[in-house]
Amino acid sequence: MKVIEISNLHKTYSESELEVRAVDGITLDFEEGEFAAIVGPSGSGKTTLLNMIGGLDVPTSGEVLVGGSLMSELKDSELTDFRLNNIGFVFQAYNLIPVLTVKENTEFVMRLQGKKDEECEKRSNELLKAVGLEERINARPVKLSGGQQQRVAVARALAAKPKFVLADEPTANLDSKSTETLLEIMERLNREENITFIFSTHDARVVKKARRIITLEDGKIINDVRKNGGE
Amino acid sequence: MTRLLKMAWRNCWRNKRRTLITAASIFFAVFFAIIMRSFQLGTYGHMIRQSIEMFSGYLQVQNPEYYDDPHLDHSITYNAQMMDTLTKYPGVKVAVPRVEAFALVSTGNQSKGVMVIGIDPVKETSVSNPEHFIVNYRMTPGKAKLLMQELEFTDKEKELLKMYENSVYNNLERLFDDLTLNDEKRTKYRPNFEKHLFYKSNYLVPDDSGVLISSKLAQFLNVEVGDTLVMIGQGFQGHSAADLFPVRGMVRVPAPDLDNKLIYTSLNKSQSFFNLENRITSIILNLKDPDDMLLVQKELSDLLDSKNYVVKNWQELNPTLKQQIEGDNKSGQMFVGILYFIIFFGIFGTVLMMVSERRREFGVLVAIGMRKRLLIGVVVIEMFFIGFMGTLSGFLAAIPLVVWFRQFPITFTGEMAKMYEDMGFDPIMPTAPVEGYFTWQAVVILIMVLIACYIPLQKIRKMKLMEALRE
Repeated sequence: MKVIEISNLHKTYSESELEVRAVDGITLDFEEGEFAAIVGPSGSGKTTLLNMIGGLDVPTSGEVLVGGSLMSELKDSELTDFRLNNIGFVFQAYNLIPVLTVKENTEFVMRLQGKKDEECEKRSNELLKAVGLEERINARPVKLSGGQQQRVAVARALAAKPKFVLADEPTANLDSKSTETLLEIMERLNREENITFIFSTHDARVVKKARRIITLEDGKIINDVRKNGGE
Repeated sequence: MTRLLKMAWRNCWRNKRRTLITAASIFFAVFFAIIMRSFQLGTYGHMIRQSIEMFSGYLQVQNPEYYDDPHLDHSITYNAQMMDTLTKYPGVKVAVPRVEAFALVSTGNQSKGVMVIGIDPVKETSVSNPEHFIVNYRMTPGKAKLLMQELEFTDKEKELLKMYENSVYNNLERLFDDLTLNDEKRTKYRPNFEKHLFYKSNYLVPDDSGVLISSKLAQFLNVEVGDTLVMIGQGFQGHSAADLFPVRGMVRVPAPDLDNKLIYTSLNKSQSFFNLENRITSIILNLKDPDDMLLVQKELSDLLDSKNYVVKNWQELNPTLKQQIEGDNKSGQMFVGILYFIIFFGIFGTVLMMVSERRREFGVLVAIGMRKRLLIGVVVIEMFFIGFMGTLSGFLAAIPLVVWFRQFPITFTGEMAKMYEDMGFDPIMPTAPVEGYFTWQAVVILIMVLIACYIPLQKIRKMKLMEALRE
């Protein structure tokens, strides 16, 4: 079942007289439960593509259909609600809320959804156990290492049971051990909860784990490989 | 909601120094505004109480034409039934009849136009209480010389003794204040002052046919207690009035213009002198709760026959005092306004900084699904927390001082005290009780926070998500 359908997507930035085509006519779709990596050199359009899929950025032209909703037709507040209920984000710089504890950060999105205390509690405990941070639930982000913070970010992204998770260079700031742990966690959650994961990455370790690798160059797809066969 | 409050509270302490500085600026503004307003309102209250309650009363029942033409022909009929109704009326503390008229007084070669007030000597003690102003001590040049011979004074004290050698006093403390004597001398010299300066002066009794004379008038007419005055005037409906009045006592009225021209006599004597029979010029009403003044005024106006009686309040009777208070009040409000205006920029700067430096974080929050409206709510709550901390601490610091100075008002001495007394007020500066003006400070802070939040919050509302995330 297709969860994301992208057709002829363009994103052009104008800087003085120079026109930069960050995404140049991409057509692409993602199936439920995929574990996909978008790779490519810096400036190839990975992050821009990811941002448009997540409704954070607006395409110059083309369409992004997520779970049957055409993103360009949603108003600002509808987009926010859409992201809240359908998409989990993992950012390169973790972006945890500094004044909230590990547990509160994990529960934050569920609270925004208006879920009950018991449900939030249960889900955050499950996820924090899954990411190996059950001992640090009351710690503030500043007390955690980069790897631990990114694991909290993953737990937060998954807490609201999104349809898919968009992770922008999630391992860029992590050492190899943390990267390994994080990838194992994400792979396990992908398998156990059938959540679609889409990464933008430079990291060969992520590429190695991904089951689909989409390569971009100059805003175009130059390669789209599924490891279990078929291009 | 609890979680958002918790988040907002924690956000306040992310930059402790900035939060504390902003809260401190609000604290100082609230503290000084309360103290200033409290002294101002307390002084007004005191002035009103003294000049209104002690003289004109909060309300007066008069003939409808008396205020514009204060002539005895515009007097009202005084009967016991009406007084009983007024005295027992809910909200009325005391009702006192008065005759107020003018006459010419003469002793030997000196004559002067005077104001004659006919009072019920017993009832009047609960209003203007002339007994309180009875002169008990009198300094003369001879007495001053005697004191200087008997006692040791510094050169400055001697100078002051000469300066006040023709003064009269209700009590010795005021004289000691004028002479700036220290506590030791006050105790030591008191017997000599008592012995030489005591002045025998009496208060009126009901139906008294004598008068109390104000001290400066007595000085002008050169009369003493026991002397007799000749008074000539025009009575009710053109009757001529002339009689002899023995001086029973002397009063020092704490208002120079009145002290120059005031004569008290008993109500009965004034009625017979002015041929008023059972008529009076006004009934003075003091109220149990001055805040009910307009209500009681309206109710009494409805109750009394409007053809023959009108009920006027102190503001109508004394518009000058009302204007003075209003003018002073406005200047006080303006000062507080300026104070808050300055503080406003502090709050504005804080919220602007808070929003600017957290743009990326706000971008992330919106990205993960927090509506901008909710985000704005959190920032507003943060500002309210800071405002609340400043306001509450301002209240807590101000309340003990307000209560203390209400109980023990600042007492002026020297020239300042004289100035107050010359205006007819006790030389004290009390604070107003803790009441409505406290709430106003909180309301002002609330409004300021809301206004200060407007522009920064518009920035959140119009925030471009990608731009915020890139910061």
